[in-house]
Order: sequence, then C-alpha cells, then structure tokens
Amino acid sequence: MKISLTINGVKKHYEVEPGEILLDLLRRKGYKSVKEGCKTGDCGACMVLVDGRAMTSCTLFAAQVDGREVTTIEGLDDKLSAELKDSFLEAGAVQCGFCIPGVLISAYSLLLDNPNPGEEEIKAALDGNLCRCTGYVKQIEAIKETANSIEGECDG
Amino acid sequence: MLNSVQEYHYPGSLEEASELHDREGRSFFIAGGTALALSDSSRPVELIDISRLELDELRVEESCNRIRIGATTRIQDIVEDERVNPFLGGFLSDSLEEIGSYPIRNAGTLGGSLVRPFPWSDVIPILAVLDADISYYHEGDTASRSLAKLYESEFRPTLNDSIITGIEIDLSGEGETAATFSKFNRSEFDVAALNLACRLTLDGQKISRARLAVGSRPMTGQRVEEVEEALLGEKLTAETAAKAGEFAGAKTPVRGDNKISGEYRKTLVEKMTEDAIRKIRNEVANEN
Repeated sequence: MKISLTINGVKKHYEVEPGEILLDLLRRKGYKSVKEGCKTGDCGACMVLVDGRAMTSCTLFAAQVDGREVTTIEGLDDKLSAELKDSFLEAGAVQCGFCIPGVLISAYSLLLDNPNPGEEEIKAALDGNLCRCTGYVKQIEAIKETANSIEGECDG
Repeated sequence: MLNSVQEYHYPGSLEEASELHDREGRSFFIAGGTALALSDSSRPVELIDISRLELDELRVEESCNRIRIGATTRIQDIVEDERVNPFLGGFLSDSLEEIGSYPIRNAGTLGGSLVRPFPWSDVIPILAVLDADISYYHEGDTASRSLAKLYESEFRPTLNDSIITGIEIDLSGEGETAATFSKFNRSEFDVAALNLACRLTLDGQKISRARLAVGSRPMTGQRVEEVEEALLGEKLTAETAAKAGEFAGAKTPVRGDNKISGEYRKTLVEKMTEDAIRKIRNEVANEN
C-alpha cells in the first residue's frame, strides 16, 4: 500500500506493507537516528514526533501516519534544537549516545510546549526514555540549562 | 502481528468501518494502536483505522460533574485538559497519568484501553468506580451500557463487533464525593501487579455510596460489590477503613502469577483498600 507523509518538513511517498512498523520504515529510508532498542515501547530510543507529539515509533504502524507529520532529530535545525544539543554536550549528558536521539526528541517536545519547565515536569517528559549510562542527572541539567538560555524563545 | 496484517483500511464513516469489520475475528479496529503493534499473533488480520472519524471530542458539563470523552481521545489529552483537572479533585487526570509512560499516553486512546480488556488495565478500575457508561456503534445503531457490565460474558461478543464511540461519566447531583487510585508494580516500567480505585460519597458523616474496583488480580478489574454494600451507612473513620480493608482482602478474588503470589495480592488488596479509604477521609477532612 502507498502512504504519504511529511518527514522533517519534506513530503514523502512510500510503498509499505500494511503491517510495517514506523520504526522499521524510518530506518529503511535512512533515518538512522531512530534506534531500535526494545521494540516494546519501553525504552524510547525510537522516539519521534508525530504531529508534534512524542511517540515511540516501534508501537505505531507506518500506515497510521499517512497524512501526518513525523519529525526525527535529523530534521531539528532551529535555534531551540541547537541550544539543546549544545547543552547536552556541555553538560556531559551523552555517554554511549544510543538513547540520545530519543531523549532529545522528548526534550524538544517538552520545551516547545513548556519553555520553562520545572524539574518534575522534565522528569515526567522523559519518563518514556531509558538511559543505562548517565543516570539522567546531566540530561535534566542540560534541559534546564537550555530553558534558561532560550528564556522563553522558541522558533520550533 | 507484523507479518500477518493483510490490509489496512481508512474508513470515512462509522458505517463504513462497521461494514469492513469481519465477524470471524480477522479484523481489528485501530486508533492509537499501541497494543496491536505489540501483538504477537500470526493470524492473518486486517486493520480498520478509526482514528480519523472524529471520535475524539471531550465535553465537560454541569460544573465539571458530567464528562463525555470520545473513544479515540488520547489519554494524555485527558490528563492535560484543564477542564478535566478539577473533576473529583483531580482524580481522573491524576489516575490516568499513572498509565504507561508519556509517549504511550500520547498515542494510546481511552476507547482502545477498553476494547481489549487487558487484566492489568488501569483504566478499567478507574472508570468502574465512576459508574462510567460506554457508548458503542453496532450494526447501524448506537447504544450505551454500563462499563460494569462490559466484561460480562453476554456483552463481550457484542463489543467485539462494535466500535466504541465514547465514555460518559455523570456524577451530577451526587453530593460530596471523593476518589483515589493506586497501583502496585514491581518496577516503574512494569504493568500493575494490582491496581485499585475507590470512590465514596457522603451524606453528612456517613457513606451513602461506595465503589471499589480491583484489577490485575491478575484477572481483569471489577467492582467488589460485597465490600461496597458493607460500607454503606458507615462513618468515614480509621476503624471503618481497617475493617473494609480486611473484608476486601477476604472477598476479592485473586490468584498468584509470575509477578506475585496470591497471598501477597490478598494482603495488597487489604492494605490498599484501607489506604484508599484513609486518603479519602483525609481529603474530605481537608476540604471541610
């Protein structure tokens, strides 16, 4: 079957199997930032934005996003995402890096919706992301630092 | 499931969706799809996408005592809706926020949580104590039925071939009422080993209406009517809470499974019931 969707702002038309999972489609089409971690919706390594909402792509059929907008970190090129990436690097919030694309997607989604989140709100936004390396402390710091530096400016 | 989906349909109406549905169990309605995508069935099936049928309206009426939630409303949308937050002191928002994780709630829908009655479902006890009704579309007609009857054997075949369209909660005219929800899971990411919801309505000092629902027993959630009846007319005291807990422990059917033993579950029912009633007591005392 054919589906049409927008990925990172670009309209795409793909031939997919009816049962193909979105994670598999995205990786098949070269969006390698979207990682396969658990494939059960628990780890968040496959996190993407679907119409602006953070969702695990391993629990979505590709056919579900026909007509929708999907965003991966390959498509994040605004001021907010640049600040976020810099903050993560400076804070030491990246170790092996495997979870980071998913964490960045969750963080980006949070800051778009809430430019000045408290610590509990940050933790709530990251509750679908598992990180085996960092213990989350530096990631939370990085998100707070980004919020401080952008001071409410978001050009999404 | 991944290799067995033969076709994926996008119906334009409830009627069309219903006509596409195969009565032999070879098709499933899909909205959020979180459960279906993780299914490991290898049986050939077709999926019928109902997420675009505008069944996601959320209405709050009657000073926030009556709520109608469209079946394909995302759970996180209910959690974040400012109109829902005041309902029962935040009970609905707070308890639904306990479900899964943020991304799962972004995709998962309230109706989808009911159509496939997972035993560990948190949604069922939450809605059962609210006396929720389920609206559904079946063979050209729309009907409504109490969620408490939802999982009784004569209703399951009907629901399997129906499209849930909405969930209605109406507590208008009920008087002073408070509710709590709690769950026990062995880790943050695990499903509940037991979940429990309790709602009490007071007439003066005494309990005039009681609802207690226990799920993940490991069986699917249901109300414990013997305990509910025993609470009627009782004062909301610590002693009542303790007695109710003990009675609930004795009367709630539970079993052991690979998570916890039946004996442990029984103890959890007892303690969580007592805690629930104590919390409600504290909440009512604080408001007064």
